[in-house]
Amino acid sequence: MLEVKDLVTSFGSVIALDGVSFTAQESKITTVIGANGAGKSTLLRTISGLEHPASGSITWSGKSLIGMRAEDIVRNGIAHVPEGHAVISELTVEENISMGSLFRRRKFKADVIAAQDEMFELFPRLKERRKQLAGTLSGGERQMLAISRALVSRPKLLLLDEPSLGLAPLVVEQIIDSINILCRTTGLTVLLVEQNANTALGVADHGVLLALGKVVADRPAAELRADANLRAAYLGY
Amino acid sequence: MDTFLAALFSGTSRGAIYALVALGLVIVWRGAGILNYAQMGQAMFSTYIASTMITNGNSYWLAFVVAILVGAVMGALLDILVMRPLSNKKKTELLSSESMRAAIPVIASLGILGVLQALAGIIWAAEERGFPAPYAQEGFTVAGNVMPFTSFDVFVITVVLSTLALTTLFFKKTGVGLAMRATALNSEVARLSGIRTNFTRSLSWAFSGAASSLAGLLITPTSNLSPNTLDLVLIIGFTAAVVGGLDSPAGAVIGGFLVGMVISFVSFYDTPEDVFLAILAVLILVLIIRPRGILGAKDARRV
Amino acid sequence: MRAVSKAKNHSIARKSLRRTIFFVVAILFAASTFDAYNQAQLALVLILFIGVLSVTLLTGISGQLSLGQGALMAVGGYCMALLMINQSYSLWVAIPLAIVGSALAGLLLGIAAARLTGPYLAGTTLVIALAIPTLANRFMSVLKGDEGLPVDVGYPPVWFTNLFGEPSYEQWQLYVALPFAAIALFLASNILLSRTGRMWRAIRDNETAAALSGVNFSRQKIFVFVVSATFAGLSGALYGLRGLVGPSVYPVSLSLLLLTAAVLGGIRSIFGAFIGTVIVVFLPDWIDAVLHQFELSEQVSNFMPALVSSLLLILTVVINPAGVAGTHLHKHKHK
Repeated sequence: MLEVKDLVTSFGSVIALDGVSFTAQESKITTVIGANGAGKSTLLRTISGLEHPASGSITWSGKSLIGMRAEDIVRNGIAHVPEGHAVISELTVEENISMGSLFRRRKFKADVIAAQDEMFELFPRLKERRKQLAGTLSGGERQMLAISRALVSRPKLLLLDEPSLGLAPLVVEQIIDSINILCRTTGLTVLLVEQNANTALGVADHGVLLALGKVVADRPAAELRADANLRAAYLGY
Repeated sequence: MDTFLAALFSGTSRGAIYALVALGLVIVWRGAGILNYAQMGQAMFSTYIASTMITNGNSYWLAFVVAILVGAVMGALLDILVMRPLSNKKKTELLSSESMRAAIPVIASLGILGVLQALAGIIWAAEERGFPAPYAQEGFTVAGNVMPFTSFDVFVITVVLSTLALTTLFFKKTGVGLAMRATALNSEVARLSGIRTNFTRSLSWAFSGAASSLAGLLITPTSNLSPNTLDLVLIIGFTAAVVGGLDSPAGAVIGGFLVGMVISFVSFYDTPEDVFLAILAVLILVLIIRPRGILGAKDARRV
Repeated sequence: MRAVSKAKNHSIARKSLRRTIFFVVAILFAASTFDAYNQAQLALVLILFIGVLSVTLLTGISGQLSLGQGALMAVGGYCMALLMINQSYSLWVAIPLAIVGSALAGLLLGIAAARLTGPYLAGTTLVIALAIPTLANRFMSVLKGDEGLPVDVGYPPVWFTNLFGEPSYEQWQLYVALPFAAIALFLASNILLSRTGRMWRAIRDNETAAALSGVNFSRQKIFVFVVSATFAGLSGALYGLRGLVGPSVYPVSLSLLLLTAAVLGGIRSIFGAFIGTVIVVFLPDWIDAVLHQFELSEQVSNFMPALVSSLLLILTVVINPAGVAGTHLHKHKHK
């Protein structure tokens, strides 16, 4: 279980997260939604260790993540797929995926290979292009690659930042479906940040609505979806 | 025809060394985004250590290995003691400017160069020393003619080419190599993949240090050893790296050989004194005509 | 954007003038209390101060790192020496002409370098700095190779000795350097306070933003090089007047010395430039005073100043990149 309490992250004089508190239940999909600039990405970056909070606490399975380096947080079973440039264009598809499991090679040699194969099963298009440079992939394929890179480290918590950004609805559907299946079959906990609230609430169990760095609503996804006033006020539809 | 052959061979042999220097520069540039002006200072320092060992009776090969190890350790120490604290600095007013952020590591590396040269002066005095070569420096005799190619030249080319081959294999095939490449290309994604980027960066520095020490060991026999001899080599290495493309290891190699040829031909057909001006001309030409270098990527960082 | 009023320009000039006068008075006062050796050192400080200002303007204010200021100094020195020797001009004529020559060199350098940034610029200027001895040897007949061209400060004119009495050689060096240093200070202060200074700072801080706000910056970049070159050339000319203009007088380490002084003292201000120069010039003396108690070999004492100043450079850059003077010194609102 991921517990975030009174988290404050600021950049100079700009307060991006202003006392955010919520819980993400194990093996469930929790989505963080809100308008642009609400602090959603900053939230994920703070959890994964790329940003340091000014105050507050983050615990995963009882262990505090505050002050840990990003590369150590990964080794604690948390994988973050940042928005935008989450793959390294100059490396091949295979190398990008390998990259995610480098730190496991010594202890789990056989499993590393098994994990890689599983990724190719999940996303067959990547298998076709395994020797190609990541920069030559389409947007959807690159997103699949980024997710593979994260999943190959066998995380218990997956932080997904705007996977639908710039992708065609069909591709988005495919990706979200894969994540959903993964969560239900392997018990992966997912924290999903999305601009497209409708899609996100459609697949999530729980929803957290952020506005200007504060939590405005923290409810089961179905309830949020049904609340027309909230949607109109914060999500614009 | 004789002059041409001599120039060709000399160019190949020298070019190999310059390729090594350029490679060292490119590794740190890609791995840490810094142009390490202290590189040849490190090489000079480890060559002095080797020289002292040899003078004290140790075998050349022992000194050789020690010098390379010293180079690697020095490189890593430089990263840990100077470069890492530099990049960890909180954003002060001075550092909010793009160009100052780029300039400061350069200034730091110049400071390191100064320290190394001064230390070398203190420890060993600025006296010029000879440095032995493990193989004969006379030309082969073929059919009664003395070729302008010595067994030492063969040694140099063999060492450099095998180093380059091993380096390429290392980067392409090993996990550590992949980690180093990933850290160099996108350190955020690398961190999110669990790669210890600080450690990996220090490895790049160690690698570069070893490569430059090797270059120093190979080039010193044909000149003399003093705290300043390798400054010229740094300039040539820099030019070679620029010619080949500062972000391309393969480019560094090509650049090294090209520049080696230019220098060699200028030396043989014109006068050695013009070598410097030739290098300057090549540098300016490349920067004007094709600033990214032969193999450099199109939108590579220019700052 | 020509909206800066005449009144503003006048107040800038007045401010600069006040600083300059204060500076001149302070120097003269210090000189009167110094012995001959330290007077010569002070003269050296004044000479190098102008050179360090060239670094401050180029790197501190405009953000372009050049390692070739020593080469520009050499240009100034050679121009002056050639005019004085071949044309028998007095130094008061030769120096301004040398400044023009340096400006031209700066123009060439600027045109070549304006496209470069960061390590490319630094590396290229380093190569240029190293090319000086080669050029001197190439054109042996004119530039006299390693031997160089001997010049010196000469004797004070009669009207001077009538008014002030006969100065010692060290004092005369000081009196020759001082007016040039004062003019340099005045001009540098003016630039820093003016709209030009603001443009240069904009280039340094954020190239993209500066371009968007309409600053024509390749032209400005070239202009910075020209201005910086004139300072360096003046410094180089005065530096040569200490006895010789030749490759041994303008080695690469001179460029690094200027840079070290600028960084140590504070790369963003005139005051920083001065402090840095004082440190760099007097450091060998201070080290000597400390080491005197220990019996050290010549080997060690020769290289100790270089070791200490390089260490200081590293420490400054890592711990406090703004240098001794820091960044708070100028009272204007913009950085």
